[in-house]
Parts: sequence; C-alpha cells; structure tokens
Amino acid sequence: MLRLILDRVLFSIVTVLAVGLCLFVLTRSIAGTPARIVLGTDATEAQIAQFDVDHGLDRPVLVQYGKWIWGIAGGLDFGTSLVSGRAIGPDLRDSLPITLELVLLAFAFAVIVAIPLGVLSACYRGSVVDHASRIVAVLGVSIPGFWLGLMLIRFPAVEFGWFPPGGFVPWSDGAMEHLRSLAMPAFALGVYYIAILSRMTRSGLIDVSGLDYMRTARAMGLSRGRILLYALKNALVPVVSVGAMSFGYMFGWALIIEYLFNLPGMSNALLTAINNRDYDTVEAVVLIFTVFFIVSNIAADIINAWLNPRLGATA
Amino acid sequence: MTPSNISRRNLIRAATLGGGAIALGQLGAAGIARAAAAAGGTLTVGIPGVPITLDPVNQINHDWMVASQMIFENLIEFDDDGVLKPQLAKAMPTVSADGLTYEFDLRENVTFSNGQPFGAEDVKYSFDWLLDPANKAARRPVFTRIKEVTVLAPLKVRFLLSEPYAPWLAFMTKCMGIFPRGSREGAAPDLFRNGAKGMGTGPAVFEEWRQNEYISLTRNPTYWNKGIPAWERLVVRQLPEDATRVAYIRTGQIDIMSSPPPRDFEQLKVTPGLEGASRPTLGGWVALYMDNTKPPYDDVNFRRAVSCAIDRAAIADKVYRGLMDPSAISAPKSAWWYDAAADRASGFDLERAKAYLAKSRYATGAQMEITIPSTPYLLDCRDAALVVQAHLKRIGIDAKLKVIEFAPMLQSLIRGGEPASMWVQMSPGEPTYLLQNVLTPGQIMSKSTSYDNPAFVALLKQSFAETDQEKLKPLYARVHALLAEDQPIAWIGFAHAANVWRKRVHDFKPNQGLTIDPRPVTLT
Repeated sequence: MLRLILDRVLFSIVTVLAVGLCLFVLTRSIAGTPARIVLGTDATEAQIAQFDVDHGLDRPVLVQYGKWIWGIAGGLDFGTSLVSGRAIGPDLRDSLPITLELVLLAFAFAVIVAIPLGVLSACYRGSVVDHASRIVAVLGVSIPGFWLGLMLIRFPAVEFGWFPPGGFVPWSDGAMEHLRSLAMPAFALGVYYIAILSRMTRSGLIDVSGLDYMRTARAMGLSRGRILLYALKNALVPVVSVGAMSFGYMFGWALIIEYLFNLPGMSNALLTAINNRDYDTVEAVVLIFTVFFIVSNIAADIINAWLNPRLGATA
Repeated sequence: MTPSNISRRNLIRAATLGGGAIALGQLGAAGIARAAAAAGGTLTVGIPGVPITLDPVNQINHDWMVASQMIFENLIEFDDDGVLKPQLAKAMPTVSADGLTYEFDLRENVTFSNGQPFGAEDVKYSFDWLLDPANKAARRPVFTRIKEVTVLAPLKVRFLLSEPYAPWLAFMTKCMGIFPRGSREGAAPDLFRNGAKGMGTGPAVFEEWRQNEYISLTRNPTYWNKGIPAWERLVVRQLPEDATRVAYIRTGQIDIMSSPPPRDFEQLKVTPGLEGASRPTLGGWVALYMDNTKPPYDDVNFRRAVSCAIDRAAIADKVYRGLMDPSAISAPKSAWWYDAAADRASGFDLERAKAYLAKSRYATGAQMEITIPSTPYLLDCRDAALVVQAHLKRIGIDAKLKVIEFAPMLQSLIRGGEPASMWVQMSPGEPTYLLQNVLTPGQIMSKSTSYDNPAFVALLKQSFAETDQEKLKPLYARVHALLAEDQPIAWIGFAHAANVWRKRVHDFKPNQGLTIDPRPVTLT
C-alpha cells in the first residue's frame, strides 16, 4: 500500500508540473493582453508595451513559468494579479473553501442518493423501483445544470421563497442560513452525478451477482445482507473510480453553478479571471483544480486497493 | 427602519439629515419626511460588470463608476439630467475670451474623508499627477490639452489649455477625481485601485471589496453636502447573470437593479413591490463601424446603402423593446445637438439603400463580416446584429457575424484589425468625445474607421472653441450633414439607462449618464 501511495504521489508531482507548463503556455497564447483591461480603451500602444515590460509579460514564456512555479513551490506564492493588483493567494484562500464546500456537499448528496438507488435498482431488477431509478438517471443526465439552476432560482427561490436565489451566507451568519444558501447550488451540481453513479452501482452489482463466488455464497446459505455486502465491495470498485473522476469534474461544472447562483467561489473567480485576461489568477485556479483532480484519483486508487487488495498488489 | 428599531439616536440623526436636506434643497418634502423616518439602512445595488479598479483616473467601467464616484468628486459634474453643474467648484468656471483659461473658485469647508482640508493645492496635485506620463493614467489622453494648473489662492485654481477645448469640463465626471496632495507618494501601490479609504471628498467612504461578490461603502459623516446620503451603507453587488439579477431584485436581495434584460423589463416594472423606469442616455451609441479604407467599405455609396438598409425602429422595438432610441446620426433625439434632417438622410429607406448600392462598385451585391462582442458591454448587441444581418440581406449584402470576446475585440479594433464591427460605446454625455475618438486621425479608435476628413477635423476644432449652445447648434448641424454625406459609420441608436428598484427605494431616477446615482436615495 505504501509503495502504491509513493508511486502515485511521485507520478502526480510530474503530472502537476506538466499540466502547469501546458496551462502556462496555452494561457499566454490567448489573444489579448491584460494591459488593455487595466489601462482601458484609451491606452496607446506604447502604454500597452510599457505595461508588458513592467510586468514581465515580454519575457520568454519558459522564464515566466519557471518564476511562477518556483514561487508556488517555495511558499504557495501565486503572485499578484495584474488586473486587480491584489495578491492572488489571499483571494484564493477566501474563495477555495466555498467551492470546496459546494463540491463536497454536491458529491456527498450524489453518493448518498446514488448508491442506495443503484443497489435498490439492482436488487429489484425490472420492478417499479428499477424503472423509477432509470427515469431519475435519464432525467439527471439529460437536464443541463444551468437550466436546472435557472428553474431552481425561478421556482423554489423566487416564487416560493424557500431558498435565497443566490449569494453565499457564511457560517458566522448562522448554520441554517449557510446551508440554505448552498442547498440549491449543491442540488443542481449533484443531480447529474446521481444519475451516473446510480447506474454504475446497478450494473456493477448485477455483474458481480452473477459471478461464481456469489453463487457459492448463496449456496452456503449466507444471509442476504451479508451477500450484498460482499457483492458491493467488488461492485463499488468502478464506482469509486468514476466517483473520483466525478469529484474532479465537479470543480469544472461548479463554474456554471457558481456563476448562476452568484457564489463567490473559486470557479466564479476563474470565470471573472478568464473574461479579464487575468492570466495569473486563471493559472492559479486551474492548477489548484488539477491538484484536487489528482488527489481525488489517488484517493480512489487507495480506496480500491482497500476494497480489492489484488488491485494494490498489481499497481 | 422598522418600528421596532426606532431609537432616540436614530431619530436625532434622522432629524439632522432631514434638516440638512432642507437647507440644501436636495430632497423634496416627501423625501425629507422619508429621510427623517428612515435615516440609515443599507442600499444594495446589483450591476452586471466586473470591477477592475476604484481609481478615478483609471476607471473605465461605466457600471462601476457607481462606486468610484461615491468616493471621489470633481470640480464639475454632469447631473442625472445631463446638465453640467458645479461639484467641488463653487460655481461654473470663468472662461477667458480666447477659451484657453479656466478659473475655478472652490467650495469652502470641504474635507477629504480622512479629515484633510480640500483646496486648490489638491486640485493642482491631482491634475498634475494625472497628466504626468510616468503615472500611466488611463484617462490622461482626454486631458492632454491642459497645459498648466496654477494655484491662485487657497480656494482658487486656474487651468491653462494649449488650445480651446470646451468639452474637457464634461469629461471630468467620468474620467477624473480629486485626491489629497501627497496622497500618491509613499502610498501602497494599490491603495487607489482598491478603494483609497479616506482619499476622496465624496458622500461615501470605501469599506470592503469582496472579490467576485461586492464592494461596500459607508456614509461619509463629514461630507460637505449635509444630509446626503440618507443611507448608512451602500453595497454594490456584482451580478453578471441576467436571470440572477432578476431573481435578486424580485426577492429583495438588491434594492436597485442595473441593466434589466429588455425582454423582462416591462414585466418587472409592473411586478408588485417593484418600480422601473428608463430614459435615453446622451452618449451611449450603438453603431456599425466600417473601415473606410477597406473594400467594400471604401465606397461611400456602399456605406450609405448599409446605413439606409438598417431598420432602426424595428431593432429598437423588437430587440431592445424600447430600451434603445433609434438614430442614424451621432446624436440621440433627446440631445440638444440632434439634427432631424441628417437623421432622415441616413435613416431607413429600402429603396434609397438599393439605389445607393446600385451606384456603388458593388451593385451586384457584396459580402461583409461584422465583428460583435460575445459578452454584453452596456447593451447586448448579438440579437441586434442578427437583425442587421437580415436587413442587409434584403438589398443583396451578405453579412457574416464574427463573435469574439470584448477585450481582444477592442485590441483588434485599435490595431485596425476588424473591417466592420458592431458594439456600444459610452461618452460622457456631450457631442464630441466619441466623434473625436473614432473619426479623427491619431486617436485611440481611429483605425476602427480610418476616416480622415480635414473638413470634419476643422469643424470639430471650431466646436471646441465655442461654449454657447445656440452657436454650437448650427455648427453641429454642419457636422451631422458632413457625416451623413460621408457616412463613415452607420449609427443605429442610443442606449437607454434603465433601472428597476424596490418600492422601499425613493427619490431615485435613472441617470442619463448611465451610471447609477445613489446619492439622493432614501429608504423606507
């Protein structure tokens, strides 16, 4: 297990560096300079050129990348945003917990609903429960998150007043208000993954149920609950892998959800930064998302190795 | 203030605020009564843009001037009705006969919110700082005709221009603010960009900037215009998504909403608990820019055909639903410099459009590509561009739409990289700013049209030397006639400033300069 973790961590560091380099080079190849945003439409070409010199944007991209990654490795210094003039680190520290909490809530909601739904669907194949589960899955996959978000704002928030239509209420303003402010965004973000994970659980469980060792277990007269537990342990391996990927993807989808519900999270900051050509903030946010994606996949590998030790041994 | 939280302290403050309002005539009788009943409270405004800075010399986002203009003030301001009036100056300036010297007497007993008294030295310091190229102020180019600022007395200052240039007074509202002498030296690099607490004379003081969420200000207790504002705190929320902004105003999370989507505006106005109004801006033109040196726009008859083919009334009605005033010239119908004859000459007339096209080198039709911004700036141009495309098709012009992000689009326009483009620009509410910026050589947006007509430049220069509106009207009539003849741009109309607000908001009206003006607002 230790070897597995070590392997994955070393590989992840290389991945982060490679992703960081691609990100850095690609971001700087986007047409447009932040100078136009900062200096405005009246700025002359000379002012733009001077801005680029002042902020090192005229230097080779690899030199800029080296300086940037060195700053992060040395002390989590993400630099200063050229556009807002603010240090990026403190702003990320403010916005990251919001996105992380939103994604965790959405993920927990998806897992808590999806796995029992998948299990019920597999156990009662062809029944009303199975058909209902399929309908939920089809709807979850088919309904675009932004449309669902708009409908949630329109009805539960505006028409019925059950939830605020947007905005973030910190814990300090009351736990209930805080959770109410995140309930609709987490629901909108999690619904798609309920569909994916419940179908994965169902098909995994059905596949495993037909294997020899399950027949043996049944022949030995083990209880239904115990058999289900054994089946789940193996059936969940692909679910965990897909779940980990889903967790990573959620940071990307959160971009639309945070924008729609006006949450001042990291995805919203990313969108603003993209519009403003705020390279430094874009790079910092995407790098952090990459790290979360990689960490969630390492976690999936570890969980899978625990669920099925043979996977750990062959890794 | 609800009955449950009326306190002696609030009542005393309310009475003081009401008294101040009477003295200065800022509020009507009803407003005074409301101020007395409801002094304090938080006014929350929702706007779509993303703030970059609060520094008045670098502020380029009209939406966010709602925050920076609460902190910083100018010698002169354009009021909500588009009338120039003194702000930190005691009266309008005395101007020398040659139009080169402007003398301002300044208000007494004005202090910056850090307690430092305001005077002529601060005015000189602020303008000297703006004009120093080393400081790279974004708004410097519009003030470069200021040759020298001289302090004549502690409360008297003189500006010497290098050539007559009357419009510079109008530019102060959106492009400048006065800050204390010595405040830039030794200050943190981003002090002014991030709020500059204590550095303005305005009715509010910077409180907090929460990235991607809001900027908040608190009432300046030492503000010279006593009784203003009646609110205690102003929160300006960043709400880029239309649906979110609509939901916020409907549920009361904001009190005033900027840029309501045209399709929702009529319904919002009649929604219980809400009010709404719109009025034309004086300087927010929607136009189709054409590079006059590139085919097919190098043919004046082709440009005239384009202008006459666009049914502006249909766009105003069907796309903007009344939130744009159609106009085929560089003036809205509500402006004193509007000229009906020129509007008719360039306006919609399908037969005339076909005749012009027949006279052009492109009689059998032509292809063109119109660049439009992917994200709305001031007004969304995407649907209007589709309608323009259809209108041009009727006379045989095949227009393709190219959608790109606003920032790179601007850069490309500045370099002359977009032969045709359609978007909205906002001027400070006077006739010359955009004409100069876009249609005279050597200016920042000159290459978006490459228009170069010495007769037009001479006419503009003549207008700079004149301040009397009655004498200016015939001059602008000549400008409009010349532009109708050359048709360097196809003007489509002028955007309206539109707002929706909760019924608890009183004494508010949309500002013709587009930026929300929360100063007179009282809350119940």
